[in-house]
Amino acid sequence: MSTRFVVARLEDFPPETRRIVRVGGREIGVFRVGERFFAVRNRCPHQGGPLCIGRVFPRIVSDEPGSVRLDRDRAPLLVCPWHGWQYDMESGQSYAPGDPHVRSYRVSVEPGAGLEQGPYVAETFPVRVEENYVVLEA
Amino acid sequence: MTEVQEAPSVREPRTVRLVDADIHPAPPQPAVLSRLPERWRRHVERFGRRMPLITELYPRASNGGMRVDSWPETPGGFPGSDLGLLQRQVLDEYDLDYGVLNCLSLLDCHEVPELTAALARAINDWMAEELLDRDPRLLGSIVVPYEYAELSVQEIERCAGDERWVQVLMPGTAFEPLGSRKYWPIYEAATAHGLPVAVHNAGYEPHLATGWPSYYLEEHVAYSFVMQSQLLNMVCEGLFAAVPGLRLVLTEGGVAWVTALRWQLDSAWELLRDEVPALERPPSEYVRDHVWFTTQPIEEPEDPADFARALEFAELGDRLLFATDYPHWDFDSPTQALPRSLPDEVRAAVFGGNAAALYRLPLESRT
Amino acid sequence: MIDCDVHCAPLSLRDLEPYLGEYWREYVDGAGIRVTGFTAAYPPAAPTSARPGARDDGGPAVPNRYELLRGRLFDSAGAPSRVILNCLTGWEAHRNPYYQAAFASALNDWLRHEWLDRDERLRASIVVPTVDPDDAVAEIERLSDDTRFVQVLWPARADAPLGNKRYHRLLAACAERRLVVGIHAWGRTGRAPTPSGFTLSYLEDYLSNPIVVQSHVLSLVGEGAFERFPSLRVALVECGFSWLPPLLWRFDKDWKGVWREVPWVKELPSTYVRRHFRATIEPAHLPAAAGQVAELVEMVGSGWLLYASDHPHDHGPGAERLFEVLDEAAAAAVRAGNAEALYPLLSK
Repeated sequence: MSTRFVVARLEDFPPETRRIVRVGGREIGVFRVGERFFAVRNRCPHQGGPLCIGRVFPRIVSDEPGSVRLDRDRAPLLVCPWHGWQYDMESGQSYAPGDPHVRSYRVSVEPGAGLEQGPYVAETFPVRVEENYVVLEA
Repeated sequence: MTEVQEAPSVREPRTVRLVDADIHPAPPQPAVLSRLPERWRRHVERFGRRMPLITELYPRASNGGMRVDSWPETPGGFPGSDLGLLQRQVLDEYDLDYGVLNCLSLLDCHEVPELTAALARAINDWMAEELLDRDPRLLGSIVVPYEYAELSVQEIERCAGDERWVQVLMPGTAFEPLGSRKYWPIYEAATAHGLPVAVHNAGYEPHLATGWPSYYLEEHVAYSFVMQSQLLNMVCEGLFAAVPGLRLVLTEGGVAWVTALRWQLDSAWELLRDEVPALERPPSEYVRDHVWFTTQPIEEPEDPADFARALEFAELGDRLLFATDYPHWDFDSPTQALPRSLPDEVRAAVFGGNAAALYRLPLESRT
Repeated sequence: MIDCDVHCAPLSLRDLEPYLGEYWREYVDGAGIRVTGFTAAYPPAAPTSARPGARDDGGPAVPNRYELLRGRLFDSAGAPSRVILNCLTGWEAHRNPYYQAAFASALNDWLRHEWLDRDERLRASIVVPTVDPDDAVAEIERLSDDTRFVQVLWPARADAPLGNKRYHRLLAACAERRLVVGIHAWGRTGRAPTPSGFTLSYLEDYLSNPIVVQSHVLSLVGEGAFERFPSLRVALVECGFSWLPPLLWRFDKDWKGVWREVPWVKELPSTYVRRHFRATIEPAHLPAAAGQVAELVEMVGSGWLLYASDHPHDHGPGAERLFEVLDEAAAAAVRAGNAEALYPLLSK
């Protein structure tokens, strides 16, 4: 059963910052990237590292060797501070181009479901702006 | 400096359960310089290093090569330089019985012999004073000026009486292949003192054979090739026949590749044994008798049963030593890294039993 | 049965005389260059250089005339339907790019006229200069009408990893003409032959090949060669294959952490390796226990393997032991099916 938590007032949560909040025994990282918000469990599904202190990077599109373009239209990637594995901050799916695990996972985590889909999905949570407040559902 | 805990209080004696065979301490530059004789301190201050760090050739394109959370808060602090953080993040976090320190600072150092020897002494002294003396769970590898066998033997003899030094450290790449007779006195001295020799990936890699790769990805995977070619060289040079008590710990070079290397050696030996009379038995037996491996970076096949199969192929159940490689980026967590498909008795041996036997650790932990 | 690795080589300058211009003939003769070159790879009397009986016809171990090969391979039951000739002459430390180019052309012309013209079952690898990739492309273009050349030969011990940018023009030419790139054991002498330095024993030199070739696998995948040239195919010849599973486990895992360095690598490295590479079965380097051989073959996949005799070289009984664990379908694939799929020019 998920509950809604007010994380902060919007004006107190500048772009390109993050907060790690403690909710019901879990640590959850809440990120503002531009005008978008994401929330990810602070635990890497690979070996349990503190995922939410990792770097946030945009996706990369590469058409051929040596060509690199950043794709800021899609959800950014959270880089685990241990092994560098990367997770789509919206879906939680581990992202490495062509990783076969990505294709088999459902996108969202239902309340109370936990990590059922497989080993390499980070738990994500809905987070919205409601009337100038950043609200997390977890 | 992160707060250092008091040495853990005396607990009930218990069997050694968890040994981390590869932790990387990093002595701060001032701590090393202050331990050098004046003449060499001045030299280092004026001329610095002669050789680039491998990170300057192949930048570590993943978190700068370190666990992001292992950077101490002290300005100028480097991962592995802060005992308090090391205790919190590894020793206490995982309730280690022992951790073996492999200091890599001298492994790509090519300086005049006396300076190299002075640096080795300084690093070993720093480790003893700042780490081994302050936490009884820590054990050390003796750092030596490996290109200079006589000076290395001297350093081994200086340190060996202290039982907290449990092995001698060699680099993955040196001026000559590691089986070269040039290095034999080091292996002989270590063995005479009952110390294994650890070979750790590091050192200036000239990328012979096929030339320079372009990316860190290639360089990192190729660490396993370096290790394979070194082991191949040591076998073919007759090192294990010449130093029958030698025990090697191949550290951070991967594990599963040894399956194919043993088959290659045995197949070829059938045809070519006349050339290498020092190899009186199938070469895989020398590998089996003399070589241990640390687990990290552990291979992660899609089917974990394949890893168990590889261990069986290469008879590694009692030769594998668990390691985290803290604080590097490809750190293996003791609670997560070892496949659950391994039988319990193998897991127990890998986590602690094999290291306890190899390093002759008291079966009850010291604390 | 398709034999994907058979050796032939000129024995002396006389064999090449019709194909090498006057200046270069004089150069070779005047400098005392031995056409057989530096024979450290297979010294004539070494155990690996010739199977028992290979020299019974009185010829050199590596045949320099078609008649010798015919007698050894084709005159008995179970003869192959196709043979790919690999001539390793001229691979050593020559740095003179013009000599390399002229010598390679001479070898290819010798192969065409003295071998391919004599028996329609024969195919060959193009010998290319290795110092200048543009010269290699020129030689490929010169021979592009002759589809009896099915592969371009490249040495495992080389000046740079084969996926390096400087070779992309060469890889393009191969892909365009549907030539497989055959990376063959041994190669450029002069550099130390292993990552750790010089080898003192033949045993070590010989066993370094499987280790060394894997650097090219990393390079071709990591440099995006297969994204740029999706039809490119590579054969690993005489380099073994039992090292494959651990390499793929490590390569995939490392890539997951550092893929941003090579974002043009869009699939798991192991996917590229399984799709674009194959390996010949001599030498095999198998476990001693038959049960383990079966397990290994399962992990490698019999679809990845190409039958080769590697005539005249002797690596022991590995290939025979491999067939003992293959069922009929797998055996047929290894004997011919996999090669037919890999070499589009083979059956023309």
